[in-house]
Amino acid sequence: MAGTTGSQRVPFLVLRFMRRPILLLTMVYATSMIGWAVIPGPEQRPDPMGFFHSFYFLTYTATTTGFGELPHGFSEAQRMWAIVSLYAGVVAWLYALGAIIRLIQNRHFQAALAERRFARDVRRLAEPFVIVCGFGNRGSLLVRGLSDAGLAAVIIDRDPDRINAVHLRDYRIPTPALVSDARVPDRLAEAGLLRSNCRAVVALTDNEEVNAKVAVTACLLNPEARVVAQLTRDVHEETLATLGADIHLIDPFHTFARHLAATIRNPAVHMLYEWLVGAPNANLAMYADVPRGNWIVCGFGRMGHAMQDAFERLGIPVVVVDPNIAPDQAGPKVIAGHASQRTLKAAGIDRAAGIVAGTNSDADNLSIVLNARALNPGIFVIVRQNRHRNRALFDAAAADLIMQPTLVSARRVLFLLIAPLLKTFFEQVRESQVQARDAFLMDVITQLHDVVGGDVRPRLWTMRIGDETPAALARLRAEGCRITLADVLRDPAARDRRLPCVPLVLRAGDGWREVMPPLSHVLSAGDQVLLCGQEHVPHVLQATLENDYTLRYLMTGIDAPRGWVMQWLLRRFPRLQPAAAP
Amino acid sequence: MNLEKVVFGFFLILALTLNVGFVIGDIDNPAHHPVAEFFFVVVVNIIATILKLGDRSQIGALLLATSLVAVLQLVVAAVIWTHAVHVSEHGMTPDTMVDIVSLASGALVANIVSVTVLVAETLMMRR
Repeated sequence: MAGTTGSQRVPFLVLRFMRRPILLLTMVYATSMIGWAVIPGPEQRPDPMGFFHSFYFLTYTATTTGFGELPHGFSEAQRMWAIVSLYAGVVAWLYALGAIIRLIQNRHFQAALAERRFARDVRRLAEPFVIVCGFGNRGSLLVRGLSDAGLAAVIIDRDPDRINAVHLRDYRIPTPALVSDARVPDRLAEAGLLRSNCRAVVALTDNEEVNAKVAVTACLLNPEARVVAQLTRDVHEETLATLGADIHLIDPFHTFARHLAATIRNPAVHMLYEWLVGAPNANLAMYADVPRGNWIVCGFGRMGHAMQDAFERLGIPVVVVDPNIAPDQAGPKVIAGHASQRTLKAAGIDRAAGIVAGTNSDADNLSIVLNARALNPGIFVIVRQNRHRNRALFDAAAADLIMQPTLVSARRVLFLLIAPLLKTFFEQVRESQVQARDAFLMDVITQLHDVVGGDVRPRLWTMRIGDETPAALARLRAEGCRITLADVLRDPAARDRRLPCVPLVLRAGDGWREVMPPLSHVLSAGDQVLLCGQEHVPHVLQATLENDYTLRYLMTGIDAPRGWVMQWLLRRFPRLQPAAAP
Repeated sequence: MNLEKVVFGFFLILALTLNVGFVIGDIDNPAHHPVAEFFFVVVVNIIATILKLGDRSQIGALLLATSLVAVLQLVVAAVIWTHAVHVSEHGMTPDTMVDIVSLASGALVANIVSVTVLVAETLMMRR
């Protein structure tokens, strides 16, 4: 029912709570005034008080101040009536005030007020925003990432504690948040699902049923919005595929397993990922060597199947150690038992290139790291960190890579939202041939390292070329200029230098995609370019693309005269023409 | 080096220096404010304004606006001067000189803004 939205419920609740007190007040006032209208005054002015004067008397005595007997002195009968009407008035007012206080303390009323505030905050959002359902570990990581990228978020969670936590964070973006059940379509509508600046809906609650419901609701109500839902792939994929919209499923185990497998294949993948997301200690100069050879994977629990698939597809020789393996499955490649020194030796740790400590217990994982280092000091160690609060322990354990499953999937969602073209990039990495992939990755990393810088915090953003925007680019294109990526990526301060920025993916107007596009690409309307560069580059690039003179200078190397006088002079005397910079 | 920048900078800074030279002196003493210098202040300011016509950038618009302000003040001062000398029967009095020099001081402020913007833009380009 539409009448249940918070903004409409507030006046209704007020009326329902205040109906009786207001009725009582009216009755008391009316009775008093009727009394005043008939009781005669003192001898000098025997007429009774009029309605106006009696209301005036009741009004100023209601505050219990009282100015005395106004406008004239009272008769004894009037004084008796004054006593009656004043006590009755005080009781009626106490009752009304009590009702107001009860209303304010009422849980439903507070919820309705919160909902009304929330709806107002959402209405005020003029910028593009993302609806995030579920503010758990992944949700809060995601919102932090969105805040860094400057994309507003509307948050829905069932847990009031989590919603209170939202208000205590120092986000740089507006984050309206509401305690509510995301399954109710009206709540999603209130969160702004139907608005044109709603870019995406992300369902990250712990309950898959809720996520599926949110995904379906979002697809049906706003086909324009991108939908990202955390769901087990095999169960829901077919159902949601029939909706045919822009849906992305995030299966945390699947995502983590695939990411882990890609990392085992070439640790640079993980490092590049960490660096792109701006993780504090990511550095492109590290992990340039790919350890070759056998890997040992300890812990084959919930994500076992996803892992096995991923390894097989990549053709990585793996020995698995896990206590929950049935004896009949055990063999030289699958060892049953806890990862102790004995089982690790049986798995061939002295010859292994790397080891993954991937159980769902942080204590086990740490002891695996220590054991592995003791048995084979040179081994490459990847450790899975399950709880964020154990960070100090993991930092001290000196693993080569620390992977947090929640972080991996939260970042994948973040990239889907702020840099959708990045998916194309990693797909290309995944699908290319083994040899080509390593070479390609090294090439990309070397370029990023040399151009952007290995230890800076990079920024990812998408440059969109429209028919009319950016203004200067559009004007010059209309004049028939061929403007290439290389032109716009020159540094306006020194034309022969390049901005610290690398184009990662190009999506042309006709849908054609190219990873690491050549700088000689001629920009045309409909192009989208995913760029990765230093923090200040987007501003510089924007300024270039909006300023005809700068853009022309970058293209030709000639600072063309701006004023009419100089333009005329140069036409008249071409000898004065400034020489083109190199 | 850019020829337009040289010409442009030359006229802008010349407008400023001439303007300073004219304004300096006792404000009501006509002997401290030669008419020839005033003539050059007006001419150079008008040339600087014409040079700025046609620039479509934001900075260009700002420079043009400040120049127009300077020219407007100087033209008003010139009209007052002409009126005092040729039309009025009192001739050039200290009071009239005060009016002229205060208008020229206003133009001086506009010229200072122009030069500041020019220098700032050049520094920002860093090339």
